[in-house]
Amino acid sequence: MKKIALLTVLLTTLAFARVNVDTTYSTLGAVAKKIGGDNVKVVVLGSPKYDPHFIVPKPSLLSKLRRADLLIMNGGGLELGWLPPLLRNANNPKIRNGAKGFLDMSHFVHMIDVPTSVSRAFGDVHAQGNPHYSTDPHVVLIMAKAIEKKLAQIDPSHETAYKTNLANFTKEWQAYLTKYDANMQMCKTKKVVQYHELFNYFLREYNIKSYGTIEPLPGIAPSSRHTLALIQTMRENGVKTILQDVYHERKTAKFIAAKTGARVAIIPHDLGADGSKTLQEFYNKIANRICK
Amino acid sequence: MKKTVCLSLFACASLFANADTNATQVQLQKQKVAIEKLQTQLDMLSQKSQGTLNTSASFSQNAYLPDIALILNMSAVGRDVNNTAYSKMAIPGFIDKGDAELPFNKNRGFNLNYAEVAMHSSVDPYFDAFAMFHLHPNAFEIGEAYIQTTSLPYALRIKAGKFKSDFGRINSKHQHAWHFDDQPIIYKALFGPDGISDAGIQLQWVAPTDTYIMAGIEAMQGTNERSFGDTEENNLYVGYVKSSIDVGDDLSILGGVSLAHGKNTTTNATNVYGADLTMRDQLGAYSSLIWQSEYLQRNKDIGTTTNKQAGLYSELLYQYNNNYSGGVRYDAITKNDVDLSAYNGVNTSNLDKYTAMLEYKPFPMSRLRLSYSYDRTKVIAGERKDINTVMLSLNIAAGAHGAHDY
Repeated sequence: MKKIALLTVLLTTLAFARVNVDTTYSTLGAVAKKIGGDNVKVVVLGSPKYDPHFIVPKPSLLSKLRRADLLIMNGGGLELGWLPPLLRNANNPKIRNGAKGFLDMSHFVHMIDVPTSVSRAFGDVHAQGNPHYSTDPHVVLIMAKAIEKKLAQIDPSHETAYKTNLANFTKEWQAYLTKYDANMQMCKTKKVVQYHELFNYFLREYNIKSYGTIEPLPGIAPSSRHTLALIQTMRENGVKTILQDVYHERKTAKFIAAKTGARVAIIPHDLGADGSKTLQEFYNKIANRICK
Repeated sequence: MKKTVCLSLFACASLFANADTNATQVQLQKQKVAIEKLQTQLDMLSQKSQGTLNTSASFSQNAYLPDIALILNMSAVGRDVNNTAYSKMAIPGFIDKGDAELPFNKNRGFNLNYAEVAMHSSVDPYFDAFAMFHLHPNAFEIGEAYIQTTSLPYALRIKAGKFKSDFGRINSKHQHAWHFDDQPIIYKALFGPDGISDAGIQLQWVAPTDTYIMAGIEAMQGTNERSFGDTEENNLYVGYVKSSIDVGDDLSILGGVSLAHGKNTTTNATNVYGADLTMRDQLGAYSSLIWQSEYLQRNKDIGTTTNKQAGLYSELLYQYNNNYSGGVRYDAITKNDVDLSAYNGVNTSNLDKYTAMLEYKPFPMSRLRLSYSYDRTKVIAGERKDINTVMLSLNIAAGAHGAHDY
């Protein structure tokens, strides 16, 4: 009798054991929640307030990674500066590179801006291409599919639930995208400059041309010479919108705006960077602020 | 053949067109040129696919090359003590006259401190390997060379080889990762420039708790002669517990206690106790404030008595942005209960040091650092001699150099 009771307790805890999913950034986390539902517990490691290249590898992140069953990372070199030492010190074989619980989302996304030659002489370029694909709402469906497949693989007992969640979410997101794309058709902004090449995926999706970046090279702080050249380019091409992210200094953008009569639009690069709580809010904010 | 068909199609089209004949002819000419261009392109492509089979790739192992990085460290030094006198300095009770190893920034004028080659690679699904080859102008040294497990259960990890012990906060860090160019006085006094770095084996465990707790034990040979030095068998054992909590999103606190137990002769034991505390407040995306302190005490049994000595350092760093940061450090010897009769007539109390630095990083891989230190821990030629040093150092890490630990 006791044994049965014990077994039941054990089985129920097993049944209610949730899959611990760690994601490096918040958009990935939100999609994982949509697909995992009540069967997963999602922890986002990198705060959207900060530059995704320079997340501080706080020891508290180690205890999160230590208990993870699945790690979903952005990839494309974005985590190179902070995640490897954490993974090394978390001592969790489930999520080491190559294990079943390791998911690099960049393997599923068609990467753009892949450089033909790579050298640090060109600044902090990512050899695998531009890693900031989360700004394109169309990529969300790719993420959702990849996460569903992975969750079904590591937690087969809830495979049907994940499948249903994916089907529901896909329907919901496709409807959202149809409306979103229609709205973007009316977007009057066709020319922009940006601080860092954070929004290339979005801009490409909606035929908005980027005429340059405020930083002279990726990861290099603005210089006066480059800023003046950028102002010249903006004047020549009639660029009236500057895409500024939430974490870089804003002085340079304001200076350029004053010289060119352009508008500085603060664009979130990740869910929650600018107060958004849901995926829809996040992407709406990007569209509204670029197109305003 | 294709061309002819195309051309006739265009010709037909133009026959039925009502447009101006001249314009049609111009268009026709354009299309001809375009078709010729495409044909050349097609020819080139088909040539490529037939001609060049890359047989050199059959046995290529390039994809398995380890990450390799070159680390260079150099400096320009101004000091109000000449080089000969400086190399004969003593720290009363800790380092005897002329006994100090001075691998970094020893000379007034220019110093090439070292060129290091760091390599890191996965060995197989179970091991990672890391090596740091430390090259001085006249010496080659294996700074570290170890393997580390990646797949042990229960959050365990084993490291084996020659490595820097995880004792305390700064011991495991390489010189290029220190916040200041000089080693803290208490570390230099107790362990010398390399700290506790030895052949041995390490076992670490991370607790399955919300709060970060890590415990580790190490067995090492104990070749460090400043504190240990009996190498008849492996005689050094190190243990530590570290824990960290976050207060809100931006403030993280990391603390640890460490113990190193070894032998300075076959019979006499040395115990070193350490406590460290690091607080880091993230002020913005690239701006932070770090306060890091360590206290070390050594109880060294010398047969007749037990020498008790202790010291600390405390440093405050302010990172303004990705390019600029600055910091100050205070070093002090707080306990020196040893026989100091060799220093009769010399004031051996109040041994301390003040350091300030400004750092400019044009890019994360390069660093220029200007520092000033006022060192009140040295005795030179039988006299207490306070040393002023101004230094400009340059450090670069080129190639595939992995991110540093916290």
